[in-house]
Amino acid sequence: MSGGILDIGHLDVTFSTETGDVPAVCDISLSVRPGETLALVGESGSGKSTVALAAMGLLPGTARTSGRVTINGTDVVNASEAELARLRGRTASMVFQEPATALDPLTRVGRQIAEVVRNHRPVSAREAAREAVELLRRVGIPDPERRASAFPFQLSGGQRQRVVIAMAIANSPDLLIADEPTTALDVTVQAEILDLLRGLAADSGTGVLLVTHNMGVVADFADRVAVMLRGEIVETGPVEDVLLRPAHEYTRRLLAAVPRLVVTEPGEVRAPVEAGTAVVELRDVTVDFGRGPRGVRALQDVSLTVGAGETVGLVGESGSGKSTAARVALGLVPPASGSVALFGTDLGRTRGRARRALLSGVGVVLQDPVASLDPRMSVAECVAEPLRVHRRGMTAAQRRARITEVLELVRLPEELMHRGPRELSGGQRQRVSLARALVLQPRLLVADEPTSALDVSVQRTVLEVIAELQAELGFACLFVSHDLAVVQEFAGRVVVMRAGRVEEQGPTMSTLLRPETDYTRRLIAAVPVPDPVLQRQRRAALGAGA
Amino acid sequence: METVLFLARRLLQALAVVLIVTVVVFCLLHALPGGPARGILGPQATAEQIAAFNHEQGLDRSLPVQYVYYLGNLLQGDLGTSFTLNEGVSRLIEQRLPKTLVLTVLSALVGLLLAVPLGMWQAVRRNKPADYAITTLNFIAYSTPVYFLGLVLILLFTQTLRWFPSQAPQGDTVAQVLADPAALVLPVVTGAASMVAVFSRYMRSATLENLSEDYVRTARAGGARQRAILFRHVFRNSLTPVVAMLGYYVPVLFGGALVVEQLFNYPGMGLLFWSAAQSSDYPVLLGCVLVISVATVVGSLLADVVQRIVDPRVKVGRA
Amino acid sequence: MTGGVETAGRPGLVAPFRAPLVARFARNRLAIAGLVVVVLFLLFCFVGPLVYSTDQTHTDLTQVNLAPGGAHWLGTDAVGHDELGRLMYGGRVSLLVGLAAGILATVIGTLWGAVAGYAGGWVDAVMMRVVDAGIAIPALFILLVVSAITTPDTAGLIVVLGLVSWLVPSRLVRAETLTLKNRDYVLTLRATGGTHGRAIARHILPGSVSTIVVAATFQVADAILLVAYVSYLGLGVQPPSTDWGGMLSAGLTAAYSDRWWLIVPPGLAIILVVCAFNAIGDGLRDAFDVRGRG
Repeated sequence: MSGGILDIGHLDVTFSTETGDVPAVCDISLSVRPGETLALVGESGSGKSTVALAAMGLLPGTARTSGRVTINGTDVVNASEAELARLRGRTASMVFQEPATALDPLTRVGRQIAEVVRNHRPVSAREAAREAVELLRRVGIPDPERRASAFPFQLSGGQRQRVVIAMAIANSPDLLIADEPTTALDVTVQAEILDLLRGLAADSGTGVLLVTHNMGVVADFADRVAVMLRGEIVETGPVEDVLLRPAHEYTRRLLAAVPRLVVTEPGEVRAPVEAGTAVVELRDVTVDFGRGPRGVRALQDVSLTVGAGETVGLVGESGSGKSTAARVALGLVPPASGSVALFGTDLGRTRGRARRALLSGVGVVLQDPVASLDPRMSVAECVAEPLRVHRRGMTAAQRRARITEVLELVRLPEELMHRGPRELSGGQRQRVSLARALVLQPRLLVADEPTSALDVSVQRTVLEVIAELQAELGFACLFVSHDLAVVQEFAGRVVVMRAGRVEEQGPTMSTLLRPETDYTRRLIAAVPVPDPVLQRQRRAALGAGA
Repeated sequence: METVLFLARRLLQALAVVLIVTVVVFCLLHALPGGPARGILGPQATAEQIAAFNHEQGLDRSLPVQYVYYLGNLLQGDLGTSFTLNEGVSRLIEQRLPKTLVLTVLSALVGLLLAVPLGMWQAVRRNKPADYAITTLNFIAYSTPVYFLGLVLILLFTQTLRWFPSQAPQGDTVAQVLADPAALVLPVVTGAASMVAVFSRYMRSATLENLSEDYVRTARAGGARQRAILFRHVFRNSLTPVVAMLGYYVPVLFGGALVVEQLFNYPGMGLLFWSAAQSSDYPVLLGCVLVISVATVVGSLLADVVQRIVDPRVKVGRA
Repeated sequence: MTGGVETAGRPGLVAPFRAPLVARFARNRLAIAGLVVVVLFLLFCFVGPLVYSTDQTHTDLTQVNLAPGGAHWLGTDAVGHDELGRLMYGGRVSLLVGLAAGILATVIGTLWGAVAGYAGGWVDAVMMRVVDAGIAIPALFILLVVSAITTPDTAGLIVVLGLVSWLVPSRLVRAETLTLKNRDYVLTLRATGGTHGRAIARHILPGSVSTIVVAATFQVADAILLVAYVSYLGLGVQPPSTDWGGMLSAGLTAAYSDRWWLIVPPGLAIILVVCAFNAIGDGLRDAFDVRGRG
């Protein structure tokens, strides 16, 4: 395993924390050859980002590293800061996950790129500025002369990521390390960024180490794959082998958990539930945030209905208004015009006790597992809260019995009852939220991205629990998600939103297989499927179509 | 456009604040024993004189009407007449305010010029002996009453070492004051001490926070050296929150000037205010409060505008 | 499959385990030193007189301005009070007034900030402009105006000091409330029919406790410092009672006559106690991991 641009041999990384040493990476060996893309995949906590940072010598001071890391023959582990500075940005560059924070907010982007140029080459400031504009053009920023003098906050997330990439390729590095480069981006932007990276790597023969959790991205981009689990590599091989014929049991489990967007033939269709009377109905709802010239129209004439017992998927990219629409349905955001009917009653005209009684028929699960539970309450108290609000007459014993019952429903062991949320994993916390949502036996569950912060295997479990309970208890569900594959599996009907409007809606299968609008078509085409052969065909078809 | 909106909104806020301050001062004026008439006619005035004055000045009308009159007078620059110095309050303040501004601005400049590098240096040497030593010194400087610190400095530098005079410059004009720099040293140092303590703490924590930001990692990944990262990126980003805090620190600076002027016998607003308090010269007291508050509001406004220039992201309505 | 989202922000890095609150506080050596200093001073002021008994009500003109030594460990002042004993009695006033005023300011600030933050909209805007106005009038100027009008008793002093220093905690609590009221668990409660009262009582106030405790600690430090200014400004407690600030101001006249024992002990006492409360506040802030002053 040598002769690569990046060679890692028997790498161990340990972090010292307040409560002792925590090993993050154990005995990792890998190598990236020129022109090749190696994907390092794994779930959170697997140590994949630690490997990437170790390769650049960027680990924080609390990390202890042993083993061998060389970039083009230069030892990284024992290098001085000055040696590392010469290496970084010249021989090896890095693209990070969070474009929102990766750039200095107070320095114009052109200057930041020029700085990387001048870190390594003795060119004049004027020449470096000219190169910066050229680099911006290469990464596909329109009007680069003007954009070079923009501040990062004036650019969109995708554009910022392009700037970071421009910085990374400023000195034509031999190795590019990309740590979840598209995770924070919308799926259409992700497709563009992946195209860009692929093109740049192919042009210059740069080796790429791609760190990601997204199997679709792997299928779309990688030549070889290394799968990490708890700090170790469990399987390495060509992308076709690993993704289509996984050898290791963990890889198989991981791939089985990935929700797959069905793009060719109708797969297993979820039996459509006969929708009953509407439990929630938004009619021509318009919502404005702020007033005057700073005001933003968040929703424009949005109408949608969720019938009794059915699941409606609300999909769209960030800023599409999908979460706002869910919040309007919950009465958290008052519409500027239009009306909301909950269980046949106008929510806008219901006040006080009647309104509270109406809302007791709704269960809510929100995205962030950390923020969804009050860290000062035990699991039992969290779940008991709706009972305390709406079932005042209940005795403590009755409450306890009901909590035990509902925790069992969401498959949480009873022992967790007296733990604090901090002691639970993300998946467990979301199931506590679900238990709280279901404790009053609601007729409607509103779930806003309930699994998007979770690892795929955990997501799978949570989705299964929701589906099972829905079949058993028969509540309706408004399911907000950015993930078309999840919605396709989960929802009977789908509403596609874009820029505050409903783009189109209809039965999930027909809408996602034969979309009526260009936007939906583009959205679907942008989702990479975790099958390298199929994904290559799709990309070829797209290229031919364009 | 954005900037114009920002300025307009910020100005409106400042006006609202000034308006509330005038209400407070107006209420204080009416809370005085005997009301404003006693305040203006002096302690010897008879009941008849007060009644006549009240009628003449419209003080027997309802409070809201009086408040409108009061505001009208303020707008014409009329802050009333001092009854011990026998001169218009506005005129008195006009003479004294520039000198106080010289003192506070100099203290602020000296304080910042010391605090900013100190805080950055502490952040870089975090949890090393030098950091602990400066942190401890900061604690002490912050915890020492200004008059006690001034006294210690006077004893040390004028009695024992005899380096500086114990009196501040006594000149009438700003130019005369600035012509005697040696006499300014002790008052300025006394006024700057707690500022150094407070702002080096801000700067230290802001620098530490910025050093752990993602953009520092990006710069490092681009091959930037530690020194370049510190001075090109971290410095400016850390300075912005510090500038924002400057606005809130203006009243503390004026409070310090009150004590410093009394201690070093520096004939500014603080000393004027001090002697007015001793002689219960209410028009002067309330006029000074009003002017100092307006100066504070203007100071915060300036700090916000500076911050907006340094950091184009700043929006109005932060709190 | 466990161990997911805690590390979502930085995939690959192991979640840093956090030690419990007390352990985190205990690791801050300055904070522990501060706690020790405060306890020692409380013992000194409230238990000290039982051990070292002095007459602090009657003047003794035969024993004025004695240097430290003999029966008077720290000498005597200009009217013959034993300086060490006076330090104990003065400390009672300083500490009590400081603690009470600091807590009063925190209570007022908490209520004001919580209401403004939770109500939002124009209520918030108006309430915060009032705070801005309050901040714009320097506290020392107000105290001096008050001293020109009246001389309050101890309770009055506490109220006056509380009323001039609630502004900073109100801003902190408002900011905290703004964050907490948009937390997902509060939104969930509101969306499922929970009342405002419940949201405030069960989630927002308990959630702000750490911020409030930290603010209160700093507030007490500031109040003790402010008490030290009070006598200097002419608002102080009346003889024969005194406080450290009063002792210090009274000693100022002695500064040029080498009677250091009239200035150094009260000065050091003020500095030590204020430093101690600030150090405790720092330690608490780091242990709670909340934002606060500095």
